[in-house]
Amino acid sequence: MHIPDGYLDPATCAATYLITLAVGVIAFRRARLAGDEAKLLVPVLAAAIFVAQMLNWPLPGGTSLHLVGGALAAILVGPWLGYFVMLLVLLVQALVFHDGGITTLGANVLNMGIVAVFTGYLVYRAFPERWRVAGAFLAGWLSITLAGLACGVELGLSNLARYFLYGFSVTIPVMGGWHALLGLVEGAITAAVYAYLRARAPALVAGGKV
Amino acid sequence: MSVRQLLERHRGALLLTLALVVVSPVFGVYLAGLVGYHEPLDLAAEALGLRETTEEVNWTPFLDYTVPGLPDWLGYIVSGFIGVGVVLALGLLLLRLLRRE
Repeated sequence: MHIPDGYLDPATCAATYLITLAVGVIAFRRARLAGDEAKLLVPVLAAAIFVAQMLNWPLPGGTSLHLVGGALAAILVGPWLGYFVMLLVLLVQALVFHDGGITTLGANVLNMGIVAVFTGYLVYRAFPERWRVAGAFLAGWLSITLAGLACGVELGLSNLARYFLYGFSVTIPVMGGWHALLGLVEGAITAAVYAYLRARAPALVAGGKV
Repeated sequence: MSVRQLLERHRGALLLTLALVVVSPVFGVYLAGLVGYHEPLDLAAEALGLRETTEEVNWTPFLDYTVPGLPDWLGYIVSGFIGVGVVLALGLLLLRLLRRE
């Protein structure tokens, strides 16, 4: 889901950077208020998600999947610190490995660090305590589906100048459809990690309350 | 919050992360090469005739998790360690900034 340089037009790049920076300022203020335990988890979680994203599982038919981790980050440390977990991952991927562009970094953070993180958090928190594993599954699934859709909208917007609405008719079904499918695995991994941590290290799971 | 605190509190998670780096080429290099690596994003972009400029405008020797002079599988592992190191360093820097007054 990492958009490379060249895919988005300058206006979409600028708009997504602005949104990402604005949310970043709010996230910074809110994240400072978080507890030390949740804060200390941020670098570890970012490193783990960075590596998890390297574990691509190619699917016959020509696509591949890996954990994105936005929902998991939000569940474990809350959405404001979760934003920074994903920012760290995406920043290092773009700057050190050119995985995702520089001009498109704003869009990538918007999709995976804001849309995925906040969707995951809101879905997870909507479930009562005893249904939270199911909540984590749905959080993971919906976070990827909506992040994929957001990515499709950005690609479609970039294409407006050339083909008018044709871009959306292609990008939204492709991105939304595929990611609704890939999201099932994201949901399963998110729920499995959450269930494991809840049983073995409940203090970590409690850190996500805002 | 320091490196020592991080190691004391999350040693197990960090060791697991490093272990996953070692096995990562199985997924990121070997299996990816078996069936061909494509993301839905590439399919959408191809349908729209969009073209990425990643290789034309590149600033890093570690493009796509490779290391010059090393075979892909070893470069992937080294890249993993470099990435984990940079993420942890930036993460600790962030924790300093997020410290309450």
